[in-house]
Amino acid sequence: MRKKLRENLIAYLFCAPAYTIFAVFLFVPIIWVIVLSFKEFSIITFNSAEFVGLKNYAKLLKDQVFLRSILNTLYFTVLYVPGNTILGLIFALLLNKPFKGRNFFRLALFIPNIVSMVVVSIIWSLIFSSSTTGIANRLLLALHLKPIEWLSDYRYALIAVGIVLIWSGFGYRMLIFLAGLQNIPDELYEAAALDGATRWQITFKIVLPLLRPTTFFVITTSLINSFQVFTPIYIMTGGGPGYSTTTIVNYLYTKGFSEFQMGYASAISVVLLVIILALTFIQRKIGREDIIF
Amino acid sequence: MRLQNRWILFVKYLLIIPACAFTLLPLIWVVVRSIEPDTGIESYSLIPKAITFDNYIAAWNYPKVIDDNVSLGTMLFNSLFVAGAVTLISIFFDSMAGYALARKNFVGKKILFWLALSTLMIPFYAVAIPMYIITIRMGMYDTLAALIIPFTASGFGVFMFRQSFLSIPADFEQAAKADGANDFYIYWKIMLPMVKPTIATMVVFKVLWSWGQFFWPLLVIQDYSKMPINLGLAMFRGHNITRWGLLCAGMIVATIPILIVFLSCQKWYVEGLSGGLKG
Repeated sequence: MRKKLRENLIAYLFCAPAYTIFAVFLFVPIIWVIVLSFKEFSIITFNSAEFVGLKNYAKLLKDQVFLRSILNTLYFTVLYVPGNTILGLIFALLLNKPFKGRNFFRLALFIPNIVSMVVVSIIWSLIFSSSTTGIANRLLLALHLKPIEWLSDYRYALIAVGIVLIWSGFGYRMLIFLAGLQNIPDELYEAAALDGATRWQITFKIVLPLLRPTTFFVITTSLINSFQVFTPIYIMTGGGPGYSTTTIVNYLYTKGFSEFQMGYASAISVVLLVIILALTFIQRKIGREDIIF
Repeated sequence: MRLQNRWILFVKYLLIIPACAFTLLPLIWVVVRSIEPDTGIESYSLIPKAITFDNYIAAWNYPKVIDDNVSLGTMLFNSLFVAGAVTLISIFFDSMAGYALARKNFVGKKILFWLALSTLMIPFYAVAIPMYIITIRMGMYDTLAALIIPFTASGFGVFMFRQSFLSIPADFEQAAKADGANDFYIYWKIMLPMVKPTIATMVVFKVLWSWGQFFWPLLVIQDYSKMPINLGLAMFRGHNITRWGLLCAGMIVATIPILIVFLSCQKWYVEGLSGGLKG
């Protein structure tokens, strides 16, 4: 009995540091943010925070900018999720079997992923800079096309950010697909080839169906990521022009940390939380349980 | 058959080479702009007109890079310190919890495991406001501690370590126990050295993650002397948009440390990814 108690105590001691951090910086905040979303306060007036019930949520439903930020995020998702998934899949298929230069090409396609989002955003805001100075526009001019105000024209700003996220993100998806391809045994390819299947048939009838769990994983994690885009928008467009590139997190930042309406920003946080939890739930329920990231 | 293979290889190169140009040219462009005398963003030549390291020297020393007495060198040091501390401490905390969850029997083990997994679902942005308040109340606002302490444990790390500790046969532990070794000794001297590949994987993940942080430092750091280099670069761009060469040198300086970590641990990182897939 005493031995049992000792064993328990030791296990708790091993767990204590990590779970203390979780408690203070995740579990308490997650409950607290829900409570805060029913209040009205700025960081200065925190102690006199006023309970306002569902007022923040009622305001959210009528807030055109918030609705716009959700629409922007969805529009963004339509651009970014398929782009990254398809490019990741194509290049994984192309770079799966050994050939000359394969390792270099893999690294070259993946390298933008390790460059931090801040650096990525600054590089591309230089490339997309206005009128005729930026490289993107010089390229268009060289092709005898009209230059575009990439980041200050509401028709192009979101597309420009989409290009940046594909640039930095498809190499990572490629790596996940390559890992998925490694799990397909060579015998399957050999057996199919013996049966006279063409490369095309092998790809579409064998490889793609077997990659379905990986594909599902890539799509759902990309969705979860695209609902949380912040840095490139903050640095490249500041949410503008107008609110044409404002995403949910950018709006959360503006309300909470520029305008200091922290109760209202908490309500936005809760909406974001619900969206991400729903997406995660779909991923866990339908996807393979053993894939975790 | 041979002709067909060559044809396929040709098509492969035809698709892959432009894609590599797309990913590499923007980076090469920044490198070239950083090593030539400042020619401005309209310069798109990929061959430098002249080679100079003035931009790097300026980035390192220039006292009024932002309008304060802080150089990018100080900010680089902040980033290195924060990433180093987050990585070391969190690997220690995560592996301890992972060890208990994998090798010990205790009341509430299932709940603790479930709680670790549930942290993976919580989006960081959604808890930023209460975290911000807690950080202020703990007196960590505008200190490097605010960038380190909240991230000294992760559910992902706990999960990864639990998985790799589970795969170790029980004999090692029992032999050590028979010799009278205590629990911490067994964990530290026997078990931890056996999961070196997981440690290497976690090093890359934690360093890359910590280095890439932007939102949180933006919230809790005000003093330029405490900014990590990424935040510093964003501020520099906001304040001083004419010194392109210096900005490019700063971006290269901010990228080299993670490039080194990635290239030296590449093998483990890729294995970690596929390991995560296999579960």
